[in-house]
Order: sequence, then structure tokens, then C-alpha cells
Amino acid sequence: MDLLPTPEQDEIVATVRAQLESDFDLHGLARSDGASRVIDPELWVRCAELGWFGLGLEESLGGVGYGLAEETLLFEQLGRHATPGPFLATVLGARLAAETGAADVTAAILDGSAPVALAEVEAAAPGDAHLRISDLDGAAYALVVTADRIVLLDAAALDAAPLESLDLLVPLSTSPLPDLSDPVATLAGDASDRLRLRGTVLVGAQLAGIATGTAEQSVAYAVDREQFGVPIGSFQAVKHRCADMAVRAEAATSSIRLAALALAGRRPEAGFLVEAARVVATDAAVANSQTNVFNHGGIGFTWEHTAHRYVTRAQILSRTLGDRHAHLAALLEETAPC
Amino acid sequence: MNLDLTDEELSFRDEARTWLREHLPNEARPPEGPEMRAFDLAWQRTLHDGGWAGINWPVEYGGRGLSDIQQMIWYEEFALADPPFTLNNSCTFVGNNHGGPTLIACGTEDQKEQLLPPILRGEVVWCQGFSEPGAGSDLASLSTRAELDGDELVVTGQKTWTSYAHVADLQELLVRTNPDAPKHKGISWVVCDMNSPGIDIRPIQTMSHVTDFCEVFYDEVRIPVTNVVGGIDNGWRTAMSTLSFERGTGFMADQVELATTVERLISEARSRTGPDGVRPAIADDEIARRLATARAEVAALRAMTVAGVSRNARTGMPGPEGSMIRLFHGELHQRVYQLALEVIGPEALRLTPVDGEGVWTGPYLQSFAYTIGGGTTDIQRNIVGERVLGLPRA
Repeated sequence: MDLLPTPEQDEIVATVRAQLESDFDLHGLARSDGASRVIDPELWVRCAELGWFGLGLEESLGGVGYGLAEETLLFEQLGRHATPGPFLATVLGARLAAETGAADVTAAILDGSAPVALAEVEAAAPGDAHLRISDLDGAAYALVVTADRIVLLDAAALDAAPLESLDLLVPLSTSPLPDLSDPVATLAGDASDRLRLRGTVLVGAQLAGIATGTAEQSVAYAVDREQFGVPIGSFQAVKHRCADMAVRAEAATSSIRLAALALAGRRPEAGFLVEAARVVATDAAVANSQTNVFNHGGIGFTWEHTAHRYVTRAQILSRTLGDRHAHLAALLEETAPC
Repeated sequence: MNLDLTDEELSFRDEARTWLREHLPNEARPPEGPEMRAFDLAWQRTLHDGGWAGINWPVEYGGRGLSDIQQMIWYEEFALADPPFTLNNSCTFVGNNHGGPTLIACGTEDQKEQLLPPILRGEVVWCQGFSEPGAGSDLASLSTRAELDGDELVVTGQKTWTSYAHVADLQELLVRTNPDAPKHKGISWVVCDMNSPGIDIRPIQTMSHVTDFCEVFYDEVRIPVTNVVGGIDNGWRTAMSTLSFERGTGFMADQVELATTVERLISEARSRTGPDGVRPAIADDEIARRLATARAEVAALRAMTVAGVSRNARTGMPGPEGSMIRLFHGELHQRVYQLALEVIGPEALRLTPVDGEGVWTGPYLQSFAYTIGGGTTDIQRNIVGERVLGLPRA
């Protein structure tokens, strides 16, 4: 039993970090507004070439052959850098296509030529169920997540209208519930539950990454920024906020990693641990991203600073594949491992 | 990263489970006095005879020389066995979790051979003499002084918040041996015989009605200088090692037990009438969400504990990261018992003991100690800020 990455896993993380730090300038991505596709096709293909979309997919299914643990480490880094783009639906879509034997579709998703948008059912009022879609522009497919199944559709099959998104790097649109009778691929029952739990872990990993990234940002600023002639991190009020952020990040990261390993190992307590970890990661990301703005004072309130990107991404992710209330309810339904 | 237990760990777990089923006492722990001491020592002897004392202590001092993971497995199996008492509520806690590990890390061979085996065999009770009326969070400002007289230290002063002093044989005692040195450099960590002439122990009433809290007065108490652990005037380092064990692994049993406490509370919420007087408590949305949040957070506590054990396994010593777990645990423990009072309705106004079956209000009153003892959460936040995150000192 060991919850720390192996040297090989550390190397994967280092490679991912280097790539995110060199190629994903958030301001550069933001300046491409007007066009609602956030990541251009060349950059998406580079990510594909690094093996990110099939990192945890078995080699026999066309993937790189690592597991959910490595995928979790990748998604922690995506969260830590507030990286935009349809990573989640692409990774889940590749697995869905592979598990259902749609080899051509799997190959197109994995080589970067077919990004996948995420479509979830939401309702603003009773009887008003519709899809909320992220990253539709430029997507070849849409991963439609409903209560009892997960379906891969041609993106063109959705009759979508754009929405103003809280997070400008996560373009949102909406469409009526589509006809699911002629899908590219579909999973139902236990297989769809497992894919949903995998997705829940990966969203949780991004949330944990946000908690870590914002804690690091606050600590760096608290060391650097001086007022009253000393670094503000020497003041107990600031120091204690940073300590709380570090504790929340540690709780979220440890929880998500433990849950990922339990799910990958098909342990009976996996459902419990995934739901628990998702709640802790959500709370950590939301709290840390908010505190991080405050720790930066006026500069944290500007568009120029990246603090707000964590705030809005945390809000979107905390409502991706179920919101906090849904996960709390699911957790209370689970049987405790002890 | 893996959750797999080795074959050795698996058979250790099965062995522990079987043994606990056969040897766990049925009777409740006496709440105070000589009966309590006798109960705690008898359980320690039973553990020792069964091979379950000092699981992660070196073999040469009577331990089993096993890993922290096996120690954690043992605590988990203990909590799962539905015990009639909690592990940390024992007068053997300081010996097993502070004094013993500190001697292993900093003691001389003579000290280890003489002092460690009796702890594991359940022959001695240790207590702690760190805090003073004028030295709480600022522990290094302590003023109980010890003057060298031949081969003895002569100690005069006062310690406070000493649990179980009235039933203890030995004490880990911090004294000032050099009043002229800077405050961290003139302290010594010494083993004090609690039956020495000149020691006066007085009980302190607590808000939770627990009677084991004491203050201790020293009037020219003579302690052999060979009882100094880690070198004269070097006691601050020795004390930091003591506290790193307390913060690192000392509360592992408590952390594991908290998970079963939350599950008991969820059962209470299913069977008790809720705030509307009609439906069960768990049907109340706010109570349900807070219970689910507590479940998530105790799961996080376990995950952090596993991560901490993994970290210690690589470094060989508990590091300052233990303060993150201690901080999270202390505040979570309080939240759980605050929530319990909401769940149990009218029973919230009935006083219970702090330990035993189905008790909630006693542990609620006791829970206030969890953010104060062993370094307040303010101090833990300082440690996390300065020693984990590298923020500058004030």
C-alpha cells in the first residue's frame, strides 16, 4: 500500500507539466475569442501524440496501457494549470468507443482528429430537461450522459445554441434532448456506471488540481509580496489561510488517488470512495479558488491575473457529472466500508 | 501508487482480526482511579502476551519490528471489532505513543533496554510534563528549572495539563537546565519518577467531567542525570521528536475510530425522530447533507493517513506534514460531535460519560480538547505554513 507516485509516475507528471507550461498560455487561448474553439487543432494533435487521450486505456484497446492512476495524475495537472479543452469527454469517449468495439472511432479520437464534447442533461424548471454541452465547436462527437446510459453521438446531430459561459475558456451551448436511437456507440447498465465513476474520479482529479494550484499560487504570492516592510506570508492571518488551503489540497488529492486505485482495482468500496473523494475535492477547489483571489488583493480581482480562471473552472467542474448535492446523496446511499 | 496489501500484511490482518475476536474485553473501562489504571495495564499486558504491543517498535526492545502500515491495519481491525473502549483514552497512551518512540529515536542503549520493555509489558504508566502555566503555545519559554548537583538534577517548578499524573509511574519532563542560553537551547528532556519526594499532584476539573487532568508541582525533586534523554540542554530537539510522533502516527487510532463513529451516527439518524418530530432525522435535508459530508471527510482523513504512512515509509521519520493530518483531524472530530448533538434530539441534553457504548454528549464536551492538546490548531497552522509551505516566520 503506497499512495505516493512511483518514479515512473513522477516522470509522467513532469512531462505533462512541462507541456502545459510551454504550450498552454491561458491568456493566449483567451485572446482567440470570437472563435469558440479554445484549443486549436494542431495543439490538440500534439496532446494526442503525447498519448494523453488513451493514457489509461488498455493497449489491447488501442491505448497507451497505463491505468486510472496515471490518468488521475494527468487530470490533476490539467486542473492545477486551469487547462481548458475537451479532455474529459475525449478520454471517456475513447474508452466508450473502444469498449463497444468501434475501432475507427477510437482511433480518430485518440489521434486528435476527433475531439469529443461533453453533453449532460440539466433542467432549469420541472419538465424543462435539455442538454448542457461544453466544447461543442470543433468537436466530432458528443458524449451524452443521461441517468441510465452514456452515448456517443455525432456532434452534428445536436441542434445546439450557444450560451454565455461563466468560464470563457469552457464554451457552453444548449440543445433539446436528442434522439438517442441511432448512436455511434452506447453503454448502459454496469458498464455505463463504471464509466461514469471513472469520469467522476477524473473531474475530482481536476478539482484537486485546482485546490493544489491555487494553494501554490497563494503561497508564492505570500512569500513574494511585501507590505509593512515584510512578506505578507509572515502574518498569521495570511499564513493560516495558506495552511488551510494546503490541508484542503492534501485532503482532496489523497482522497482522489485512493478512490482511483480502489476503482481501478474493482474493490467493493470503490463507489463509496469515489463519491466521498468527489465531495472533498469539490469543496477544496471551490474554497481554495475563492480564498486565492482574496489572498492576492486587488491584483487577484483583475482579468489579467489567472486567479479568476480557477474560480470559474471550479464552479463548472463542481457541476460536471453531477453537482455537490447529487454526490452527497449518492454517498449517503452507499454502504460504508467499515 | 497501489492499495495492495502484501501477503505478509494480509496474513497479519487476518491474524489480528481473529485474535481481537477472541481477546477483546467485554466489560466497559472504569472511568477513573486505580481501577482504570489496572484495566488499562491489564489490556496492555494482554496485547503484549498476544504479540500486539509495539507493532512498529524494533524487535530488540520487545516490539515486532513491523511497518507503520501494519500498525495502521491493527488500528483499523481494532476499530472494526466494535471495542467497548477507545484506544487513545488510555493511561498507556503517553508510554506507547510519546515516551517510547522518543526513547527509540533519541535514547541511549541503557535507557532503551531499561525503559522500553516495561511499557510494552504493561508494567508502567507514563505521563507528560511539557506545558506550564506560563508556557503553552510558547512551549520553549518554560521555566521549571533543573540545577545540576553532583550526578543529580534538582527540579523546582510547575507543570500543567498532565493527564493521568495521579496514576503515573514515570513522566517525560521538560526542564530548563541552562537559564542563560537562548530559550530553545537551555532545555532538557528528562525521565522523572513520579514517586520521588517533592512531587505534589493536584487534580484539575475539566468541562467534560474527566478526572484524569492534573497539575504537578516540583519542590527540589532529585532526578539522576542519567535520566536525561538526547543530551543535556538538547531537550528541545528531543521534544520536537516526541511531538512529531504524536502528530505523525500517535492519533492514527483516533483517526480510524472516527470513521466508525460517523457510521454509528448515521445509524442513530435513521432510527431517531428528526427535527420535524415525525420523520427520522436522516430525512432532514440539512442533517443528511452534513452526515454525508462527514462521511466524505472521514474518508479523506483515512486517505491522508495512508498518504502520511507512505511518506514516512520513504523518509523513515514523521515530517511536519503530520501537522496537516492533525489539524484536519482535530477540527473534523469536533464537527462530528457537534453534528451528533443535532442528530440525537432531546438526548443532547442528557450528560453521558466520554467513553462507552452509544454515548454522544460526553465525547462532545471532550471534543474541545482536540483543537487544543498537543499544540493548538493555531500552532499546527504555523507549522504547516512555515515548515511545510516555507512561509517566513513572524
